[in-house]
Amino acid sequence: MRLLRWLLVPIVVLPLAWLLLSGFGRDPREVASPLIGGPAPAWTLTTLDGETLSSADFAGRPYVVNFWASWCGPCVDEHPVLTGTRAELGDDLAMVGVLYQDATADADAFLTRYGDTGYSHVTDPDGRLAIDYGVTGPPETFFVDAAGIVRDRQFGPLTRALMEERLASIGVTP
Amino acid sequence: MVPTLGHVAVVVGLGLTVYAAVAFVIAGRGGDPRVAGSAGRAVIGSFFMAAVACVAMVASLLAHDFSVRYVAENNATTTPPFVGAISLWAALEGSILFWTLLATGWASLVLWRHRGRHRSLMPWVGATLATINAFFFAVMTWPGNPFVRMTPVASEGTGPNALLQNHPFMALHPPLLYLGYTGLAVPFAFGVAALVTNRLDEEWLRIVRRWTLVPWVFLTLGITAGAWWSYEVLGWGGYWGWDPVENAALLPWLTATAFVHSAMVAERRGGLRIWTGALVIATFTLTLVGTFLTRSGVVASVHSFTQSAIGPWFLGGIVVALAGALGLLVWRLPGLVGGGRPSGLLSRETAFLFNNVLFLGITFAVLFGTLLPLLVATSSGQTISVGAPWYNAVTVPIFAALLFLMGVGPALPWGRASWVTVRERFTSPMLAAVAVGTAALLLGLREVIPLATLCLAAFVAVILLDEVVRGARARARGRGEGPATATWRLATRNRRRYGGYAVHLGVLVMAVAVAISSGLSIDRTVTLLPGESAAIGPYELTHQELVVEPLADDARVIETRAEVRFAGPQSGTLATALRDYPSSPTAIATPAVRTSLGEDLYVTLLASDATSGAVTLHLFVNPLVAWIWIGGAIVGLGSVFSIWPERRARTVTVEDRQAAAVASVEGA
Repeated sequence: MRLLRWLLVPIVVLPLAWLLLSGFGRDPREVASPLIGGPAPAWTLTTLDGETLSSADFAGRPYVVNFWASWCGPCVDEHPVLTGTRAELGDDLAMVGVLYQDATADADAFLTRYGDTGYSHVTDPDGRLAIDYGVTGPPETFFVDAAGIVRDRQFGPLTRALMEERLASIGVTP
Repeated sequence: MVPTLGHVAVVVGLGLTVYAAVAFVIAGRGGDPRVAGSAGRAVIGSFFMAAVACVAMVASLLAHDFSVRYVAENNATTTPPFVGAISLWAALEGSILFWTLLATGWASLVLWRHRGRHRSLMPWVGATLATINAFFFAVMTWPGNPFVRMTPVASEGTGPNALLQNHPFMALHPPLLYLGYTGLAVPFAFGVAALVTNRLDEEWLRIVRRWTLVPWVFLTLGITAGAWWSYEVLGWGGYWGWDPVENAALLPWLTATAFVHSAMVAERRGGLRIWTGALVIATFTLTLVGTFLTRSGVVASVHSFTQSAIGPWFLGGIVVALAGALGLLVWRLPGLVGGGRPSGLLSRETAFLFNNVLFLGITFAVLFGTLLPLLVATSSGQTISVGAPWYNAVTVPIFAALLFLMGVGPALPWGRASWVTVRERFTSPMLAAVAVGTAALLLGLREVIPLATLCLAAFVAVILLDEVVRGARARARGRGEGPATATWRLATRNRRRYGGYAVHLGVLVMAVAVAISSGLSIDRTVTLLPGESAAIGPYELTHQELVVEPLADDARVIETRAEVRFAGPQSGTLATALRDYPSSPTAIATPAVRTSLGEDLYVTLLASDATSGAVTLHLFVNPLVAWIWIGGAIVGLGSVFSIWPERRARTVTVEDRQAAAVASVEGA
């Protein structure tokens, strides 16, 4: 009976502590993407250099779609991660940047200021592709495997470690 | 130089509070009483240290000293001084600093007010408060240092939180809320002290009642001011959205309110000692959980600051506080059981008991709703959110029952009521409720919740009126005073009772205003070219002009403003805007509200087209909203009236009496 009484303390404290603890490291704004496990949306868009690029050009290869904007602060933070991955992996991994509600001139200025990524960026003038992917705000990055299936999604800026973790889902090891 | 001074003050504050905590424990365990005196001075010293740190931070903000990271992230050279100064609580680190100032202030006030009295309780009260404050100083020394420097020094800062900048109410809402939050540590400290010394009797209840009511008033006003701010700033036409952080403020308010009521039963009739002790512990723990939810970024909300390293610290603090206090309660459990005088089923204490059960019911419901997204995310990885409809469905019936009890409780006598009393007291209130309900139905009111609230309000209002009139009449008859004089004298001689009535009246006003304004508000969205008009309710609005220009007092902020003329029960012009702040990715709405006692006309700009001058406006007519704020003010005034020291009542404690007895023996 005495012991039972003392059990009251952990019975109240532990579940609460566990629940609050489980909240760490999770972004509450992150919503699971329904795209994961399904085919990646197809698109044909114009790059910043004025050329036409299509998702079909990546067929048979794993690729990364990164939504970004020049006005987005965290996009500056993840910029070196993207550039570094590109420099390291080269053609083993296809990458494409998609402008999210941004002016072409501003995007060009961003790339001039922070350095070219080494891969192409397409404009998404009416935001169709962002809607197809269900993007809520930049930066948001999708990882598509060689079969054209979306395997993972990064909500918010990528870090070196997150990049490696996400890339593993599409069978790419840096 | 100034930031360094602030940082040194924080570290010294940590040293002082740690010393105070240890010294108080030594004094509490039977050490030299002078040790307690020294510890008390250390607590007051820690308050001055917190004040120095706050002044250093405000000075750095006003001087735009961007070498301090907090300043660089929350200030810009163009920031007006007023906004700069209140940026002290614009973000995480500054909030904790301000919080510590208030917490050490409360601790100093308590120790000073009770100096030389309650010799056995006070060291433990001091030890508990000093430990809590040491925790906050430690957070500011390690993970949440507000004075972290940055090199190279930026030439321009990010600017303050746009929401903070947008409305002067931001100067009022956080301080009031924090005063409430931090003050609730005081009853907790008394609870711990009473458990440690095993003196959980009427003495601690009497002291703690007042120390709970004062922060309770601040919390009430803080919540009301927050609702008002959200109504005036966020632009969605409402004032309460069951946001996790609103809930976080509501949770301790609910348990504190339950405590204020249960303490009355415990004081008058004995008993309920475990219960009141548990309520005090729950209230303080919930303030910590609230802070944790707000400040750690664990739950999505308008208020959440960026994720930070203080989360684990707070979690540790919650666990220690809850486990420690519960452990004490369990340890003292055998001595706390029973002790109440018997009472009948129909009695005031039964009403209070139900009141407590209902308050706890709402607390659990709100806590469940707030933590459920976290639970689901953890257990299944799904993302869910619990919205206003769920909270309304669950809590509205309980609130209605509480409203009913608010009438029943005061009308029933302590101990046992006879059916004759019940019939006598409740006939006319019942009739009033039926009359008001019928009148409202005849006037065309069909919505259930507003209708039910009106009936309940009439019921309670008549009971309150009856109580006041009955008392005044008896006194007027006995002493030959006029009715007004008799009422006033009676009220000032029974401040607790009559202050309570005033608080209940304020709650009644708020309840009616909330029910009517949420049940009967109308809204529509219109797109208008300049010169075009739209109608809503009795009003006709004409869009006059779309203006895009920088703000007069901060040129970095671009305002897109729709100027609207309106005619109807009132007429005039309104200007509603969207403001682009450099520090905010989304434009901040600036709704225009024309308030009157009957209804508010509320206009928000949703979108605009610069070339055609077209605007999309969300229009609302919200009835009786002003009465929510008026009701809040009545609650505040009623509480102040209730706490105001009574003229003659100099409370004589047991220890005073013992001291007097000892003195007389020694004198003889």
